[in-house]
Amino acid sequence: MSRVVLITGASKGLGFTLASFLAGQGYDLVITARRENELNAAAEKLRSAGIIVTALAGDVADPAHRRALVEAAQKLGQLELLVNSASILGPAPMPTLTEFPLDELRRVFEVNLIAPIALVQETLPLLKSSKGLVINLSSDAARGAYETWGGYGSSKAALELASLTLANELEEHGVSVVTVDPGDMRTEMAEIAFEGDVEDRPLPEVTLPFWAWLLGQDRMAVSGQRYEAQSEQWEIAS
Amino acid sequence: MKRESLVFDRPGELQATEPPEARGIERDEVRLLVSTPEGHQHAHFRDLPNFLREGDVLVVNRSATIPASLKAQGKVGEFTLNLSTHYGRNLWLTEPRWDADRPGPLPIDPGDEIELPGTRARIVAPYPGLPALWFVQAEKSLWGSMGCCGSPIRYGYVDQQLPLDAYQTIFAAHPGSAEMPSAARPFTYRVLRALRKKGVILASLVLHTGVSSQEVEEEDIEEHTLYPEPFHVPYLTASVVNKALRENRRVIAVGTTVVRALEAAWNGEEVRPSGGFTRIYVHPGRGIHTVHGLITGLHDPVTSHLAMLSALAGEKMIREAYEEAVREEYLWHEFGDSHLILTR
Repeated sequence: MSRVVLITGASKGLGFTLASFLAGQGYDLVITARRENELNAAAEKLRSAGIIVTALAGDVADPAHRRALVEAAQKLGQLELLVNSASILGPAPMPTLTEFPLDELRRVFEVNLIAPIALVQETLPLLKSSKGLVINLSSDAARGAYETWGGYGSSKAALELASLTLANELEEHGVSVVTVDPGDMRTEMAEIAFEGDVEDRPLPEVTLPFWAWLLGQDRMAVSGQRYEAQSEQWEIAS
Repeated sequence: MKRESLVFDRPGELQATEPPEARGIERDEVRLLVSTPEGHQHAHFRDLPNFLREGDVLVVNRSATIPASLKAQGKVGEFTLNLSTHYGRNLWLTEPRWDADRPGPLPIDPGDEIELPGTRARIVAPYPGLPALWFVQAEKSLWGSMGCCGSPIRYGYVDQQLPLDAYQTIFAAHPGSAEMPSAARPFTYRVLRALRKKGVILASLVLHTGVSSQEVEEEDIEEHTLYPEPFHVPYLTASVVNKALRENRRVIAVGTTVVRALEAAWNGEEVRPSGGFTRIYVHPGRGIHTVHGLITGLHDPVTSHLAMLSALAGEKMIREAYEEAVREEYLWHEFGDSHLILTR
């Protein structure tokens, strides 16, 4: 049966780089992002690897959209990987927490925290049967307490704790969960956050060796770990 | 550290083109340059125990060499695919070359299908920052391909294809190194017996080497990209090394791979039992915390290994040692002579 990956935020940046790498390894893909044109263009490029790509544009915070994603994954084959890559920064320029509009803050948490947890809930039967792996993308902002990064950072900090908890809760079902901080990169998100000043940052391809390594490991050996994709070293539980 | 400080002149003829056995001497009869803060001495590897003392800890790499060089067929015709590192699930980092004498780059692209012995494979992506290296996804296990049809990786300076045994050290137990962890090649049982008599303690770890490191091209050598290698430092080895460090006894690495693995396992206070992939780059800016000595071969100009040697013993001692080695016509490369560096 075909091996399937569901990856959110896959039209550009890190999500697209990872999707291309997975396509090159022969996985079929279900991809999503909000902007339909960009998503379809990404899907076209990914199909050149000779794999099947289902591209569904929409908002991961929308339950109906998530249902469609899960159904699409089920239809394609065996869901082995869920990659929660979609996330938002909130208003630009980024406000301090004391001035953060609360509706916007709720929206950041909806997309960055609730949606990944919801997708784990909704794909759980599929992940249980494949002994699959959930990859939640985080950031050093989850730990850095940088000024004006409080909305995004606290949502990612919460996601990191949720990942650890899920890893513990799902161990008996053979489902693994890891957190990955990809490090500084030249992406659209970085461009917004740093107001264009991103030229000295590496392209997302710099993380490929890490993905190659992570996907090659026994999943239970990495579950519950937090990895930095650009660090000098990646260790397994021993 | 600047690139120019890793430059020296090695006359082309000072390289071993065949194993010492083929030159009529035993593995442990290669020459041994001994460098200490007091100066440099010339000996043979068999004499190693004379330069060590009771309580010294020698840490060796138990990785075995694999027949990592495969014939491949692709849109460019026949070429050589040298496997470097297994990332798991039949995904390998590789170096496609024309043959032993001619490196790439080959005109290949992501998505290209290639034929290997017993399986098809697909070119996935180049390694970021190291365009000679490519990730390749095979349909079936390449251990089978290597078993039937692989040969040890060879470069042009070695005259002929040698059997895999020529590329194994006495410590080889865990297959995984694309190239021989060659520092331990001169060890023989008679040397081990003499070391035991002397009271030297042996401990082991595993680090699987990838294909030869590329020459440093960056002006600041710290900018150079190194790719990661699998390593494992077991509990027992961590304990033995930590005890020696606490008791102020010498820890001596057999090979730059051992330095890399021990430094990877160093947490700022002690060596932890650990395993995974590490791309730690040991250079003078980073320093060395776990070893006081190193047994190694002679390294080519402008390689990252030389930066590690300088990190251990200082640029001056290494420069003098290499001047001495050139003057005394030591032989470079994996079948060549040996170098013991002691910092105390």
